[in-house]
Amino acid sequence: MTGSKTSTGQVLWGAAALGLMGVVAAYPVAGPARFWANWLLWFLFLLTIAMGSLFIVALEHLVGSRWSVPLRRIPERLSTLLLPAVPMALVALGALPVLYPGTRPEAAHDPVLAGKAFWLSTPFVSTRVVLCLALWLVGVAVLTGGSLRQDRTRDPGFNVKARRFAPAFLAIFALTLTLVAFDWISALEPKWYSDIFGVYLFAGTFLAALAATAASVVYLKDRGRLEGVRPAHLYNLGAYLFAFTVFWSYIAFAQYLLMWYGDMPEEVFWYKERLAGPWLGVALLLGVVHFLIPFFALIPRDAKEDTRRLFWVAVLMLVAHVLDLYWLIFPVLGPPRLFWPELSFALFFISGGLLWVRAAMERGEDMPAGDPFLREGLEFRL
Amino acid sequence: MTQPKSGDTFGVVGLFESADALMAAISKVREAGLGKVEAYTPYPVHGLDKALGQRRSPLGGMVMIMGVLGALTAFLFQWWISGIDYPIVTGGKAPTSWQAFVPIMFEVTVLFATFTAGLGMLFFLNKLPFFGHPVLHAKAISAITRDRFGLAIEAEGDAFDVAAAVRALESAGARPIEVISVPSFSGPMTARYLERSLLGIAIACAVSGYATYWAVKLFPVLPPTSHMLVQPRLDPQKPSAFFKDGHGMQLPVPGTVARGYLPLGVTSQEEAATLVNPLAVTQKVLEEGRQAYMNHCVVCHGPLANGVPTLTSAYGAKPANLQAQQFREYPDGKIYWAIVMGKNAMPSYAADLSEDDRWAVIHYLRALQRAQNAKPGDLAGVKFEAGSGQGSEGKAP
Repeated sequence: MTGSKTSTGQVLWGAAALGLMGVVAAYPVAGPARFWANWLLWFLFLLTIAMGSLFIVALEHLVGSRWSVPLRRIPERLSTLLLPAVPMALVALGALPVLYPGTRPEAAHDPVLAGKAFWLSTPFVSTRVVLCLALWLVGVAVLTGGSLRQDRTRDPGFNVKARRFAPAFLAIFALTLTLVAFDWISALEPKWYSDIFGVYLFAGTFLAALAATAASVVYLKDRGRLEGVRPAHLYNLGAYLFAFTVFWSYIAFAQYLLMWYGDMPEEVFWYKERLAGPWLGVALLLGVVHFLIPFFALIPRDAKEDTRRLFWVAVLMLVAHVLDLYWLIFPVLGPPRLFWPELSFALFFISGGLLWVRAAMERGEDMPAGDPFLREGLEFRL
Repeated sequence: MTQPKSGDTFGVVGLFESADALMAAISKVREAGLGKVEAYTPYPVHGLDKALGQRRSPLGGMVMIMGVLGALTAFLFQWWISGIDYPIVTGGKAPTSWQAFVPIMFEVTVLFATFTAGLGMLFFLNKLPFFGHPVLHAKAISAITRDRFGLAIEAEGDAFDVAAAVRALESAGARPIEVISVPSFSGPMTARYLERSLLGIAIACAVSGYATYWAVKLFPVLPPTSHMLVQPRLDPQKPSAFFKDGHGMQLPVPGTVARGYLPLGVTSQEEAATLVNPLAVTQKVLEEGRQAYMNHCVVCHGPLANGVPTLTSAYGAKPANLQAQQFREYPDGKIYWAIVMGKNAMPSYAADLSEDDRWAVIHYLRALQRAQNAKPGDLAGVKFEAGSGQGSEGKAP
């Protein structure tokens, strides 16, 4: 076990180093626009997993769910991905003058953009980004940090504190995640209007975090950890994944249907870009991997307790989330691009993210041992 | 499902003290293979259906199939109706726009799936209507509904060995053990009675419906109540069978005059001079004339008809002073012409004043002219009413 672990780590480090070379080379060779688009994709991928995990933790505290207590340490650990996301966000501010038309001086002469000039200006966007990061770090410190401390102190007072903190954090989460959607993705095409876009990103975020949690749980269980987690717990995770697959599709289609019906120029141009030529293929693929496959794969009751199937559906959902972000971000560069810069970024950020998560999975105990509801959670039956 | 005859042995039921004892006994009793093993418990016991070796319910598969069928039904139905049978462009979209079908497909999927789940569970799997399960007639049921756990070996054929079943339950630790026979069901509280009643009602409805239909159709002495459905009329976009040219709307006969639109019969103001006021001068006519004058004429010609308007001069036009010599000598017909055709800046008042109103206004105008140009002796012929008790002079026009 130890030997294979070390070699996996070495492979990941090697892959990350290889990817890093490609990432560094991409800036001068492939051009800044492509570099920043890739950076944005992977930054948002890791950020949304971290944010979604934090959302799961806060939600569980808010509603006082018991069944999920044995699993709660997994999203808590995943939420620490927010720490590497902070420098990534600060670096991503470099994309503002390159990818975001609202920050360019000629935006002042555009009648539509002139009205949004202050909102889209680099100083105000940067202020918002920094403010959001600070708020999220508070969330990680209170929910994850507090839970890890509880391992030592065994102080049930943390549960009371977390339950009081959770609703405030969820309100902040809703606002700031909408800001992520608007500032980082919508603002790539600032003339586009969609009120539901924040919810759309939330659906993808929650789903990605659930998928990462489910994959981690199955992975750890296969290695003999998380003893006491029953098929019933996996069933609930699978049911969550299944439900929010449908939720994502519902929101995505609702946004599309209204704009398709309304046929307003300021709305449909966004879809015309994303459903034209090769992007239509990407959109259809997104429908297949983000909805059809997971929907039908998770429909049977046994499928949600089947660790193999759950693991691979979860991995597929993470791939679908990357594809979703790709479909949202890359059309501003023109036709789809997938060559060594994209592959290098994927290699670097996937192996880097896995290295971080592997290290995070050693933090604290595998279950929140100090939580007074852990026993009740372990006894959960359907 | 064939119902067992009353008096047959339904099975043997034994009671256990705890769920654990029941679970431990199940495998032993199942091994004996004497009949169908079934458990009756006061509350759901985890793992019971697995221990009893029950097949996974087919309901999920049924719901799945019906859900997919619902989606396909909704899609094909809409696609055929709005794309093939009667293509209509709605909102500038192509008739076969699949996007517009999706909400309906979603709804019909849910409809088919939920109905299958609910009705399939009740009627297909739970086999309702089903009154009086034999166990409900056993003595054991009063214990089972409180705090005992029943395990039954139920007969699956004629070769059911009651004694062996009792021994099997006994050795598994059940106390007490009861042999249950199929109770006699009679009266309306049986499934068969209910089924027959419903079937009878359905047949009666069908027979009477068809009988009425054919009776009315074959014997026209009884015409069906058609209310206003059958009547001579022209349906939209259908030719008329009444008129030769097939049009429902016919042009009027040449020379037809619409009510209230009598032609003048004259073609110039000079010719109009010959027209004679058809109304007699009476108090009523003068009152009507005054009313019409006050409604339409006074704003420009003024209350005294001297061209001093009640509107301010900001209006810009210079209305005619009808007290002028020229107009006092106008024949009635020429004034009538001016009212109907308009004059200079004055528009036609033909649409506002009826035939009678026009002539009444002219009488009233004559009265105004005479009042402003009164001669001594004009009042000579006027008789003042003495009995009114107040000065009539003030009220005289």
